[in-house]
Amino acid sequence: MRMMNILIGENISAEVLDGFATGSVTVQAITLFAIVIGAIFVNNVVLSQFLGICPFLGVSSKVETSLGMGMAVTFVMALSAVVTWCLQTYVLNPFGIGYMQTIAFILVIAALVQMVEIVLKKVSPALYQALGIFLPLITTNCAVLGVAIITIQKDFDLLTGVIYSVSTALGFALALVLFAGIRERLEVEDVPQPLRGVSIALITAGLLAMAFMGFANVVPLP
Amino acid sequence: MVVVLLLISAISAFLVALVNDVTKDTIALSNAKAKNAAKFLVLGTSESEARITRDTTCKIGDFEITVSTVTRNDDNAVIGYAVEAPSITKSGYADRITLMVGFKEEGDRAVINAVEVLSQKETPGLGANMTKEGNSLERSIVGVDPAELKFAVSKEGGSFDALTGSTISSRAYANAVETAYAGYLWATGRLNTEAGAETVTGSTQQTDSNLL
Amino acid sequence: MSKLQIITKGIIKENPTFALVLGMCPTIGVTSSAINGMGMGVATMVVLIMSNMAISMIKNVVPDKVRIPAFIVVIASFVTIIEMLMQAYVPSLYASLGVFIPLIVVNCIILGRAEAFASKNCILDSALDGIGIGLGFTLSLTVIGAVREVLGSGAIFGYTFADGVMPLLFILAPGGFLVLGYLMVLFNKIAKR
Repeated sequence: MRMMNILIGENISAEVLDGFATGSVTVQAITLFAIVIGAIFVNNVVLSQFLGICPFLGVSSKVETSLGMGMAVTFVMALSAVVTWCLQTYVLNPFGIGYMQTIAFILVIAALVQMVEIVLKKVSPALYQALGIFLPLITTNCAVLGVAIITIQKDFDLLTGVIYSVSTALGFALALVLFAGIRERLEVEDVPQPLRGVSIALITAGLLAMAFMGFANVVPLP
Repeated sequence: MVVVLLLISAISAFLVALVNDVTKDTIALSNAKAKNAAKFLVLGTSESEARITRDTTCKIGDFEITVSTVTRNDDNAVIGYAVEAPSITKSGYADRITLMVGFKEEGDRAVINAVEVLSQKETPGLGANMTKEGNSLERSIVGVDPAELKFAVSKEGGSFDALTGSTISSRAYANAVETAYAGYLWATGRLNTEAGAETVTGSTQQTDSNLL
Repeated sequence: MSKLQIITKGIIKENPTFALVLGMCPTIGVTSSAINGMGMGVATMVVLIMSNMAISMIKNVVPDKVRIPAFIVVIASFVTIIEMLMQAYVPSLYASLGVFIPLIVVNCIILGRAEAFASKNCILDSALDGIGIGLGFTLSLTVIGAVREVLGSGAIFGYTFADGVMPLLFILAPGGFLVLGYLMVLFNKIAKR
């Protein structure tokens, strides 16, 4: 081999060099705190990841209903995070059928929503009254499936995955409630005819998303 | 009711499994073909003019780094090294990215010839622009001696001009190029690691014995 | 309703983006350039036509109570199958449209049309509805993409005319909401006439 007179690898970072020296990589640990703040504010599921926009526009005309929807989504997302994580780790991966992921997850979420509905109806009629009408809507909420898949993609362990999912859902609830508050005020304003309805809602959402951009770079992303 | 749903799920799952079985070989083949073509592409040559004479693979954790020596058919001269490397310490926005980086040796310096993105799941229109020809990331490092590079985006004091609006994707890109460079130095026996590169579990395959 | 009407209604009267307000996530998520919008639109149209036909075929055997889960499973399988077939036999097309395909699973247009149209109509009409809604979706996404590309990166269909002077905001998330909102105002104004 020709010997070369160059600086050899002096600019390679310690982490990568370490990888070559030990044959393993230690990816910098991200604290749970960073994950929580990141999922709620920095990477807000609706305002910067474009997931769950349909329910965001659909059920955000009143603060009360949006709180209900937010709670229902948080509940289902936490449950689905546990179930989909176990499904991926103990069924899809061992059998090498990762390509079934979408179908399996979507079916699990649909079944979960139905089950939650039935159980709630029997166990806690009051809570069912509060959440009932939102539950079927969650099946078609793309944020639930999206977050389940992201949790797998990011290689989180079960606890981190659940914390990440719950934080994301809280971010969804936060955006929804904030947005509903603005829309309640808009309702009593004299909005020009063509702007009424979804148009003004979208423009408001744009401004809200701009405000959330201020959180960028607050914490490292998971 | 439940029976019908189970039946539909079973039929759907069966169809998906069937299609997967039929297509998986073709997909693996076309991926391998694309990867192989990229090895020649990043060194500005093609499969008809050159061949791969040595494949060195090292494993870091679950990640594989493959260094292929590409040799010209006419005069048996080594054109350069094509390194396939993932971003190992930094993930992209959605997932890790994998690059093929071409290193050429000119006199006593090495030069990055070109970069091809093998896999990425970044946002279309933002991070996914790294696959476009002549993007700012590739432009900022092509023709540069990797020994002079700083593996970070320019606003963090590095040599990589980040894609507009995609700092995270750009960081992952810089990290993959860094890994590729480390892999290139390791494969050519010149990596300065304190523990020594011997601990890396690697394998080398000589594909052309004429050269030795 | 004539066959032609089924196709044309998707473009203005039942435009999925501006009139039905369906499938907002991919609409805002991928329209950072005109080409991307068009790619997503075409990929969605293909899936929509096929899933509409499939739903129309099975509509009589599915009990009402499990309708939604059954439809979701059928759609998800379709998307996965199309992704695999495309990757295997038309890799060049997959390279440009591939990133959009998994996003289609969570696009509520597909389920919305399965519910609203395909579960009530014959196979041919369902396919035509898929073409019409697909066309409307493609058109809207291309327009939104073009506006965002012009305003955000000073380019149109990839041809740059004003490099580096336009506000990047328009290709980021807030710009997506804003452009869609203002285009909807314009659409309401024109459609009401």
